[in-house]
Amino acid sequence: MPLDVPTFSYALPDGVDPPGLVAFLRERFDVEAGRATAVTFTVVDTADRRVRDAGADLVLAGTKTPELVLHLAPGAAPLAATAPRTKRWRVEDLPPGPLRDHLAPVIEMRALLSLARVRAEVSAGNVRNADLKTVVRLRLATHAALDTGGEPAPLTSRVEVSGVLGYPKPLARVVAVLTAEAGLVEAPASMADEAIAASGGDPRGIRSKVDVELDPEMRTDRAAIAVLRELADFVEANLPGTLADLDTEFLHDLRVAVRRSRSVLRELKGAFAAEPLQCQRDALRWIQAITSDTRDLDVQLLEWDELVAAVPAERHAALQPARRLLVRHRAAALRRLKVELRGKAYRDAWAGYRAFLDGKLGPARDRPDAKRPLGDVAGERIRKVYKRMVAMGAAIDDDSPAESLHELRKRGKELRYLLEFFGDLWPASVAKPMVKTLKGLQDVLGTHQDREVQADHLRGLAEELAGVVGGPEALLVLGVLVDRLGAEQREARAHFAESFAAFAAADQRKLVSSTFRGPSG
Amino acid sequence: MKVLATYNIKGGVGKTSAAVNLAALAAGDGLRTLLWDLDPQGAASFLFRVRPKVRGGGRKLVRGRSDVADVLRGTDVEGLDLLPADFSYRHMDLVLDESGRPSRRLRKVLAPLEDHYDLAVLDCPPSISLVSESVFDLADALLVPLIPSTLTLRTFQQLGDFVETEVDHRPEIVAFFSMVDWRKRLHREVVETLPDGRDDIARTAIPAATEVELMGVSRSPVVVDKPRSRGARAYAALWAEVRERLAI
Repeated sequence: MPLDVPTFSYALPDGVDPPGLVAFLRERFDVEAGRATAVTFTVVDTADRRVRDAGADLVLAGTKTPELVLHLAPGAAPLAATAPRTKRWRVEDLPPGPLRDHLAPVIEMRALLSLARVRAEVSAGNVRNADLKTVVRLRLATHAALDTGGEPAPLTSRVEVSGVLGYPKPLARVVAVLTAEAGLVEAPASMADEAIAASGGDPRGIRSKVDVELDPEMRTDRAAIAVLRELADFVEANLPGTLADLDTEFLHDLRVAVRRSRSVLRELKGAFAAEPLQCQRDALRWIQAITSDTRDLDVQLLEWDELVAAVPAERHAALQPARRLLVRHRAAALRRLKVELRGKAYRDAWAGYRAFLDGKLGPARDRPDAKRPLGDVAGERIRKVYKRMVAMGAAIDDDSPAESLHELRKRGKELRYLLEFFGDLWPASVAKPMVKTLKGLQDVLGTHQDREVQADHLRGLAEELAGVVGGPEALLVLGVLVDRLGAEQREARAHFAESFAAFAAADQRKLVSSTFRGPSG
Repeated sequence: MKVLATYNIKGGVGKTSAAVNLAALAAGDGLRTLLWDLDPQGAASFLFRVRPKVRGGGRKLVRGRSDVADVLRGTDVEGLDLLPADFSYRHMDLVLDESGRPSRRLRKVLAPLEDHYDLAVLDCPPSISLVSESVFDLADALLVPLIPSTLTLRTFQQLGDFVETEVDHRPEIVAFFSMVDWRKRLHREVVETLPDGRDDIARTAIPAATEVELMGVSRSPVVVDKPRSRGARAYAALWAEVRERLAI
């Protein structure tokens, strides 16, 4: 049952200002208009624009007591909460209340950041009926982006026209007048997007999903380079946030982009000459290695609450020394990471990798897959990795070491990346079910390995913990947690056979072998 | 969706004023709020400049033969919608009596709106009837305005007894003093002594204030029109108390 009322946003043409538009409307309607107020505010969102993607707008307004103001939908009352002055706000930095309750599931572990400063002149207006009841709402605004490195950059002036529930006809009349008589056209993008672009940012935010136009006929080396360049952009985009430690996801996304790049280099290795390829694979492996400690500790801390939920609430306090230790370890790991990422070795490695992507790849005779159609090469790799996984999984029984499952998981990641980058070259009806069964298998393998890693980490704290105040008590409770993790790992292992059977089912095997073929068949 | 109802068997005690102001405050807090004007006099609808008319009539609405979404009206307060009164509500007892399980009828009317609103505030007509029984069945809490007098406690006790003995689903009852004239000794004494030791009477009292009476002229909730006035501040305090007490 739809209750939403429509909102239209129009750009004011050059030469028409908000008072002019109000005067125009007053000749036709009873318009009550307030005075324009000048405000300066900051567009706030996570680096990957989660607030915008959830259909909302968040700004920081007010100078004496700054407030975060969340506009959930046009026509709905905004939510506001005082915000401490800081370079970023995580959920725990926001005061408890409706704004935090709304934002928490949207931003999760990401930090809210100031993305653009805007000066605006805003006035509200109402179109009223004969009973002086508001039947259409107007919001008129002129904006200018301030952080342009020079003069403020004027943005599109806008009028937002919102209906009022139960009064569709007056809205239709106002819209008709604005479009047909005043000739207004729909506003181009959101004000926040425009302001971010005018301030030198990307309105889409820092992305993590590769969006490169590929087709099965294209040369494999060109496709690989296009994907790798975009992944390299992601690494560079996430580096400043990682160094500033704005939130944990900058490092996470940086690492994912590096891992995916390594995967492309490995899976499409025939597109590159062997020697420079090995050198770049080594460079990326090193970057992955220097970022591992911090990420591992981030995961420990992010999953801490969920982990300790396994023991009764009255024992949580006893675990605090363990958590404090993790926080200390994480701070130390981050210090080491910053030294590495700011160091010459990293600069050289990255510059070398960029030069590899942007330079000449060498004669095609040294690169057997370079000119082959992408569909052939990628299809071959998908078939081979899948086949290999089927063989590896079939060899796993109850007595197999945990290592076999870990190896299978690694292959699974390879397959997942292949499908993510190149799956669209084949019909979704084939790729989708495959991704689904792969995901089911990877979830089981992931839980199996993560629980082991978590338990190892907790065990690794034991010696140090024994020496701190409250440590022995914490150790007792940690023992319970480690047991619990062990039980969950065993449970995941018990599910392996079932999820592997779905992944390696005869009809799926047949489908993979017949579908993932390129233009040359 | 939580449901609050302002209710008293007596009229002229400040039910509508409380309903419109608390609903406006809830919307101001970002709750998607619906106000249902169940009183055929349509005072809440009048205050929001909405014609007290339900398309197709109240009978069809209550009997589930018209779509409730079609009769809703947005108010001048953003985030607050109104289900308007209709003069036919004066016969609602008869309509309820004709239908099966009358006490469940109003619940059924609101059911399709469950996901669209966080809070519904029901402004009830003064009576004790099938309408009020249907409201008791639906509401999570009854907000009962009490004018301080010697009979206040007795009336309030009667309501409590009725809900206790006659109603299956028992809403929480929260009374508050309304239209308190601090110049009157009796008002002061009752307000200052009665809440002692009782957790069903709110700490906040709503004063008899000119600005509240003038809502009929301004046709706007006092919390919107004169948010810094004494009356508006009292409603804000009452809303904060109700919100905390009922975990809204």
